[in-house]
Amino acid sequence: MGMPMIKHKWWVFVIIPICLALPFLTPYHALASEMLIFAIFALGYDIIFGYTGLLSFGHAMFFGIGAYGTGLVLTRWVPSLFLGLATGIAISLPLALIVGFLSIRRRGIYFVMVTLAFCQMLYFIAFKWTSLTGGDNGLHGVPRPLIGPFDLNSELLFYYFVFSIFALSVLVAFRIVSSPFGRVLQSLRENEDRAKSIGYNTDNFKVISFVTSAFFSSLAGGLYAVHLNFVPLDTLSIFTSGDVVIMALVGGIGTLYGPIFGAMLIVYLKNLLSAWMENWNLIMGLLFISSVLAFRKGILPVLRERLWGR
Amino acid sequence: MKKVFLLFVISLLVISPVAMAKEPVKVGLISVLSGPLAVIGKGEEYGGRMAVEDYGEVLGQKVELIIKDHAYNPGLANERAKELYEKDKVDVITACPNSAAALAVSDQALRHKRLFISTSAGTCDLIAKNRYTIKWNYNDYMLATTVGRWGARHLGKRWYTITADYAWGHDLLKYFTAALKEEGGVHVGNDMVALGTADFSPYILKAKKAEPDVLVLLNVGKDAANSTKAAVEYGLKEKVKIVHALLFEVDIKGAGIETFTGDYVAASWNWQVDTPGARDFADRFYKKFGERPHFMAAAVYSSVWQYLEAVKRAKSKDPEAVKKALKGHTFRDFFANPGYVRAEDLLQVGKAYLLRVKKPGEVKEKEAFFEIVGTLPPEKAHPPVGFFGRKF
Amino acid sequence: MDIEYIFAQLFNGLMLGSFYILLSLGLSIVFGMLGVVNFAHGAIYMLGAYAAYTICQVFAQSFWLALILSPIIVGIIGMVLEATLIRRLYAFAHFYNLLLTFGVMLCIEEVVSIIYTPIGKPFGTPGTFVGSLDLGFIIFPRYRIFIILITMICSIGMWLFLAKTKLGAIIRAGTDDSEMVSALGIDISRIFTLVFGMGAALAGLAGVLAAPVQNIFPYMGGSILVETFVVVIIGGMGSIVGSILGGLIIGELITLGVIFWPPVANTLIFIFMALILLLRPRGFFGRAKFFE
Repeated sequence: MGMPMIKHKWWVFVIIPICLALPFLTPYHALASEMLIFAIFALGYDIIFGYTGLLSFGHAMFFGIGAYGTGLVLTRWVPSLFLGLATGIAISLPLALIVGFLSIRRRGIYFVMVTLAFCQMLYFIAFKWTSLTGGDNGLHGVPRPLIGPFDLNSELLFYYFVFSIFALSVLVAFRIVSSPFGRVLQSLRENEDRAKSIGYNTDNFKVISFVTSAFFSSLAGGLYAVHLNFVPLDTLSIFTSGDVVIMALVGGIGTLYGPIFGAMLIVYLKNLLSAWMENWNLIMGLLFISSVLAFRKGILPVLRERLWGR
Repeated sequence: MKKVFLLFVISLLVISPVAMAKEPVKVGLISVLSGPLAVIGKGEEYGGRMAVEDYGEVLGQKVELIIKDHAYNPGLANERAKELYEKDKVDVITACPNSAAALAVSDQALRHKRLFISTSAGTCDLIAKNRYTIKWNYNDYMLATTVGRWGARHLGKRWYTITADYAWGHDLLKYFTAALKEEGGVHVGNDMVALGTADFSPYILKAKKAEPDVLVLLNVGKDAANSTKAAVEYGLKEKVKIVHALLFEVDIKGAGIETFTGDYVAASWNWQVDTPGARDFADRFYKKFGERPHFMAAAVYSSVWQYLEAVKRAKSKDPEAVKKALKGHTFRDFFANPGYVRAEDLLQVGKAYLLRVKKPGEVKEKEAFFEIVGTLPPEKAHPPVGFFGRKF
Repeated sequence: MDIEYIFAQLFNGLMLGSFYILLSLGLSIVFGMLGVVNFAHGAIYMLGAYAAYTICQVFAQSFWLALILSPIIVGIIGMVLEATLIRRLYAFAHFYNLLLTFGVMLCIEEVVSIIYTPIGKPFGTPGTFVGSLDLGFIIFPRYRIFIILITMICSIGMWLFLAKTKLGAIIRAGTDDSEMVSALGIDISRIFTLVFGMGAALAGLAGVLAAPVQNIFPYMGGSILVETFVVVIIGGMGSIVGSILGGLIIGELITLGVIFWPPVANTLIFIFMALILLLRPRGFFGRAKFFE
């Protein structure tokens, strides 16, 4: 379940050209960038939800911190994209360590509730701290700095920049989950007591997994800030947390490529459907319910089973 | 001579179709077309469509209107603006309710060097924000100041405010208290209430205790309805006059006119004003769409119409030329009579109205909920030039 | 700060607390017995309000009819939900049903939005309760007194039902150990359906009572759901006493926050919840097994 890259190498020859051509397949280039940004977000989320089996309902806090961190550096300090992204990540990692440590202490739905609570608190802090975040108006005027000779103000160039980061993230993530570390995560998802009895310090593994997923989330958030040229408050909202859960679930948790696909599909659908119908939330709700019920494993793995009989 | 003339005319006839094969003027409209606030967006959409239909042609071609939904989400608005400027190549974007969304669109207007006429968001940060942003219709300063200035003279001196706890509410409160102070009123207390609070009774109790003459509700929509309901329940409505920051016909329909009877609100326009053309517009709108236009719908119509007029005057759709044609321009339409676009900050000003909600028995036709009880001239209602430290 | 003002505010807190009590009772027994965190609870509350609205539209302003019928209708809807969707996921980890009910919430809200439009609907205070009880120094709106009374009756009724009746005993036993109850020959799945229906009916009742107080609209269940979770966590998942006490505490806490510390009145409950989760996750009266 965790090493699709090696088994199905031919996927790579399908996926890469599609991604390279994506800006031309979508109604406008910026949509393609947004699809990949959320794919990175969902990728990271799969590590904690799909591979470790912990449902976090507060991952928007890392996405949001990544966004605000990057946005603030770019608007107030120095227009360096890498410094901005690095700052966003650097702030969210210690937070992930603290929240992770506090959340994993007990079982069951405790984890869900604590992550939700922390995310809500962060949202309110950002709402009130208008001098820093702009409150509910958001943080405006985030520039797109030059990267060498490349002017990222071109949506097309920006997409390929995002794509390169996305490709790197995918490589790193696959590495992580197919490593011994990744295998321990899966074993603790299946049966934590067993893993403990073998001698693994499951709490530590959970925290590290949480922090790792936060890394990707805040990276995605930082890219989002530059993508929009501003940071809206709802990057920290419970709906954004819910969105990434839906994306991972619909695509197929525990596979990495599932959430990637789920994220891209949902971002694309949101864009397409909201132009045509007012109540596309209904479609999302139905998609959600059917994903949970029928495709507990998500769309892609079920398709895979049907098509390849595995 | 005749031959030369004929030749000249023929060559003109040959050249002009080529000249006309240029792009038509494209107007983009971003608004909230889904979700609970869709009624605002629908009205703006209709207003925009009517304006484009009525105007017909400019620069020899029909005007194209492209409409996008932002679902009241600033991030989406940002994307739509990019889409409109880049992919659809619109020359101007209008409407866009939600201040955070409008600020984002304004940034995109600057990046793409095209115009944005903000008709539907209140934040004063939009006034002279950048060289491509024109502020039309109302702004938070105007709403709060109109209420404060007129109200302090006609309604009473002791005021209590209940404010929606987000950027819009805070802005309103700031300008309101300043205006009140100038007129010699006394601000006896304020409560910040989180958006979406269902039960306003603790705040109404506090308000009652402070014994004001007037209760000001700096909120909108559900919050306005819930806070007013609570005021009725606790008998506060009998003791004080109630003033709202914004009140739409749809809010009154939603909560019932008995809740809002006798309440005051400031507005840049209402379909019942006596401005020539207003009634006619309202009737045509009603015939086409089954409801009366709210002031944002009228503002969108006016902004599109005046934009097209400016294009006609400038004989070009180049943003700089159109701006020049609008700066310092006085116009008369059913929305503002007269209306004036200030050269120093591209702010459209017109007079402000004070409206009062009628009693249930006084409503003689559908959606005729208001009566006009006062006006304020633009110099008194709108912020003075340079008030925010920005001008061109 | 005079005494009558504080009294009036405390009375308000009591009313606010009543809603929390009704809502958290429903959420708590469902979690306690079925292990389901019902994210659709707020949407069900909203259904109660809309059911009342519809009944009053059809039967010309009969609030009493709505008060009785609405919870029954909503309870039936709840039972259908349980029987068709929710019971399929009992065998799996808790969070699957959490996610399922989240999706159900989205669907219910949108369906109501389509049928009734997203704009609010008016709902007046029922005729019998218009006006207030003027005790000279305090004014108590009659309708709010009614809300408090109904909640008290329900809470006592609930407690009596669980403590004194056979069905109540089965439910209590099932909350402790449903497998054992099943082993004793009792059809536990029907009990599950009934309990879910009860929880839904309580939420529906809260919705009916709320309709005259606030504007009813399709998304009105949103914020109160989060607050209800806080109450249930503080009182303790699965505990009746916990729900009642938790509801009262939170109701008063929010109201007192408004008086003394307005800027953080709403965030106060999250801080409280975070503290409880960190120090004593089972809440005041909850059972340890769900968290530790």
